[in-house]
Amino acid sequence: MNWFKRRDDRLRAEMEEHIDFETQQNIDAGMSPTEARRRALEKFGNVTLAREESRDVWGLLWLDRLWQDLRYAIRGFFRNPGFTAVALISLVLGIGASTALFSVVYGVLISPYPYAKPDEIWAPAVVPLKEKVQGWHSYPRRELLEIQKLPAFSEVMATGFEQSMITSAGYPESMLGIQLTANAFHFIGVPPLLGRTIQPFDVHPGGEREPVVVLSYGFWQTHFNGDPNVLGKKLDLNNLPFTVIGVMPSRFGWFTNEAFWLPMPMDKLDQDFDVNVIMRLKAGVTPQAAEQQLQALNIQLAHAKPDHFPKTGFRTQLLNYMDITVASGDMKSSLQMLFAAVGFLLLIACANVANLQLARTTTRVREIAVRLSIGAGRARLIRQLLTESVVLSLVGGGLGVCFAFGAINLMVRLMPPDDVPNEARIVINGYVLLFTFVISVLTGILFGLAPALRCSRPNLVEALKDGTRGAGNAARGQATRSGLVVAEVALSVILLAGASLAIRSFETLLHISPGFEPQRMLRVQVSLPPKQYPALDQRDRFADMVVANIQRLPGVHSVAIGNGAMPYGGASSTYSIEGQPKEEEKRVQISLVSEDYLRALGTPLKRGRRFTHSEVLHGEHIAWINETAAKLWASGTDPIGKRITLDILKADLGSQVLMPAGAASPVTVIGVIADTRNDGLRAATSPAVYIPYTLVAPPVREIAVRTFGDPSALLNAVRNEIHNVDKDVPIGRARTLEEIYGEEVAQPRFNMALFSSFAGIGLALAVAGVFSVISYDVTQRMHEIGVRLALGASKADVLALVFRIVTRVVVLGLVIGLSASAILERLVKFQVFATASFDWISVAGVVVVLGVTTVIAALIPARRAASFDPVSALRHEA
Amino acid sequence: MSTRDPERLEVLQGTLDLLILQILARASLHGHAIAQAIERQSDEVLRIGHGSLYPALQRLLKHGLIAAEDGVSENNRAARFYKLTAKGRKKLSVETSKWNKLSAAMVRILNPA
Repeated sequence: MNWFKRRDDRLRAEMEEHIDFETQQNIDAGMSPTEARRRALEKFGNVTLAREESRDVWGLLWLDRLWQDLRYAIRGFFRNPGFTAVALISLVLGIGASTALFSVVYGVLISPYPYAKPDEIWAPAVVPLKEKVQGWHSYPRRELLEIQKLPAFSEVMATGFEQSMITSAGYPESMLGIQLTANAFHFIGVPPLLGRTIQPFDVHPGGEREPVVVLSYGFWQTHFNGDPNVLGKKLDLNNLPFTVIGVMPSRFGWFTNEAFWLPMPMDKLDQDFDVNVIMRLKAGVTPQAAEQQLQALNIQLAHAKPDHFPKTGFRTQLLNYMDITVASGDMKSSLQMLFAAVGFLLLIACANVANLQLARTTTRVREIAVRLSIGAGRARLIRQLLTESVVLSLVGGGLGVCFAFGAINLMVRLMPPDDVPNEARIVINGYVLLFTFVISVLTGILFGLAPALRCSRPNLVEALKDGTRGAGNAARGQATRSGLVVAEVALSVILLAGASLAIRSFETLLHISPGFEPQRMLRVQVSLPPKQYPALDQRDRFADMVVANIQRLPGVHSVAIGNGAMPYGGASSTYSIEGQPKEEEKRVQISLVSEDYLRALGTPLKRGRRFTHSEVLHGEHIAWINETAAKLWASGTDPIGKRITLDILKADLGSQVLMPAGAASPVTVIGVIADTRNDGLRAATSPAVYIPYTLVAPPVREIAVRTFGDPSALLNAVRNEIHNVDKDVPIGRARTLEEIYGEEVAQPRFNMALFSSFAGIGLALAVAGVFSVISYDVTQRMHEIGVRLALGASKADVLALVFRIVTRVVVLGLVIGLSASAILERLVKFQVFATASFDWISVAGVVVVLGVTTVIAALIPARRAASFDPVSALRHEA
Repeated sequence: MSTRDPERLEVLQGTLDLLILQILARASLHGHAIAQAIERQSDEVLRIGHGSLYPALQRLLKHGLIAAEDGVSENNRAARFYKLTAKGRKKLSVETSKWNKLSAAMVRILNPA
């Protein structure tokens, strides 16, 4: 800057010299000094113009002008604090909310993973013909080796699970470890925080694996206190020592955030288990080509093991990893809708500020007219006004980022954890700031354009006249401003409609009866190490004793075993009903229960009778079915007394799941219980069969405890009772059913909270807009109102006048907004919401809310108008 | 820029630049002397004022056709002197021959004989 100033000064000096020289010559020629100087200046011409044009040659004129405009704009803002404050608030809310939501969208949808090229990872899906993709297909390890041979793939890795019992100081614990093939860390491409990751040499050629383990950041903190010397320490898993070779950074969360990763053993392939396979394609290979190769392989595998594949034919599809895991389905559509909603919010904020700008520029008409008349170009003027707008919105954007920090905290707390990848990090990063900058500038141009264009073309003569009210201008201005407010109201209505839908669907979900009572219920998982409990009767006896012990605790209402219906999910099996043709491909849910299950869960028995303790103990082949399952029998047949065979009991479930002899024979239905939401709150009830737990003994038992008081208070007592039976048994994380139930509603609650917030802010802005326009209108009309009052109008008439104006604007906005909402609803199909229709209650709600708020907003200017003193009103010149 | 007809301004700019180069070809002068020399040669060009000389000088400086240095003027005052550079000299001869060719052609067209 200094150099420029010097050059500028030097030029000025030079020009001064020039004029002096000429002056001197004139004096020498005989003129008086004053005449000499005057003539010299005349000959020189416009000094300032010469200077400006020279500066223009230097190419920095635009910078000069920009600086000028900036200073002028900032001075203007300080001179109009009211305008500046309201405009800034609108901008902060609009841009801030947009920034916050964009951070969420960026962190969850656009770039949730720290993995190398996550959009180039594919997962195989086997889809029955004529059906839609359900999910990932998992392969046994032996088949993984076959897939790795296919030429289409440059790299294939797999992920498996290993239930691990950790014996360390304190309570024994059961955790799900993640198994990874030796090439996995290379595939995923994230370097470790400490030490090294699993490498190919950790799995021997024969398939045996080294006992090494890589810890997650979470595990390192909770179990090793973040000890920097953790490398080389031993961790006992399933009674075998594993050496810690590395720790991953906190953002790395491949299938787990809090456990650890182990090498996947590739030996003992005859005792196979399923793994999740993912692959990368070779350069130049299209997904379609790869699908064909994989399909050919799948057909071969289906010949060898038909049970693994759909019997009625299938096709192979490669799913992009990002599509499966990134906020699958619900969260993605929610975020998209919310993004649109926040866009509307921003538009409302823009309209508000445009309105304020318009009001302000009509008071500056004279100033602008003066500038135009001394020769300012129209383009220059528009540029200056736009600079003002952009500066205002950049400041608003900057403050909006601060607002976004707080907003993001709240949003993250509300986000449903299951629908968001572990690894997602919601922060304000470079991209988010860039987004903020861009929309600030665009916003500034958007709301600045209308006022700039309008007021750069005023009627000069009118404007320069003293005491002008610029009637023509004001009327045109008023129309634009009213138009803007109508737009604001309409957008606000759309947001309110969306919010009301979100609220109602949340409500509906809350009111769905789950079929059981989630309050005061504790669920505990107990793992029985197969080495200590190799026999079926040992496991059964353990379960029986634990249930009896816990029952005796004070504060316990009832205890039951309930694998698989606690409250959702569980094993499923194909079945055949005696006396009816078998329906292939149809399944029922299987739950293993004890006799007190119904009492514990609070599910009523509809028909038939309960199990007795002795029946359960002896593993009688009896069963309950739920009402949906009862419909599987031919209509008119009473299922009670009939028999059903569960195919899963015939299959070999591996060495860990024990069954008594004759488990495969059919069970007799002795009771029908009420339907529960056993597939999640939002899905229809699946048919389910409940059999005594003594018929199947997996190594994990799920125990439900209903308490009289707060369930978490009894947690330690329950743990103690379990350890009284066997002190070495690991107990998994205990949860209350309310927590689990709460997760189901987390997504709709998130939608509701955000939509309502946006709608609330939008409404506030729109109401502020209405208020400002009416206020302004009243002031403009003061003269007219004065005339009316003088001619005999009463205060009531004046009030009515104002309210008529308000009503016109609001009703128009309502009509447009409601029509737009109806159209949008058809387009969007609202898969996100449980209530798919936009009904009269919502409409009524929106109308009432809008009506009440705008009436309140209009009251103040109305009362002001009514209390005008006619004399001073008549004298008033706007 | 000023409210002048932009076309005329461009033509004038071009002529003014050329005139300055031609004047400086003979001697190094300071601003005022250049203005006087132009006045003698073409009244029309500088009717917009001596001041318009300076943007032209800045332009020529920017393109490297002239160079400036400080010196002392006739009446012992400090002044800035401008002189032609080699590049400027070349430009002048190129432009001059262009003009000559153009005016010769114009003469032939306008006076067929």
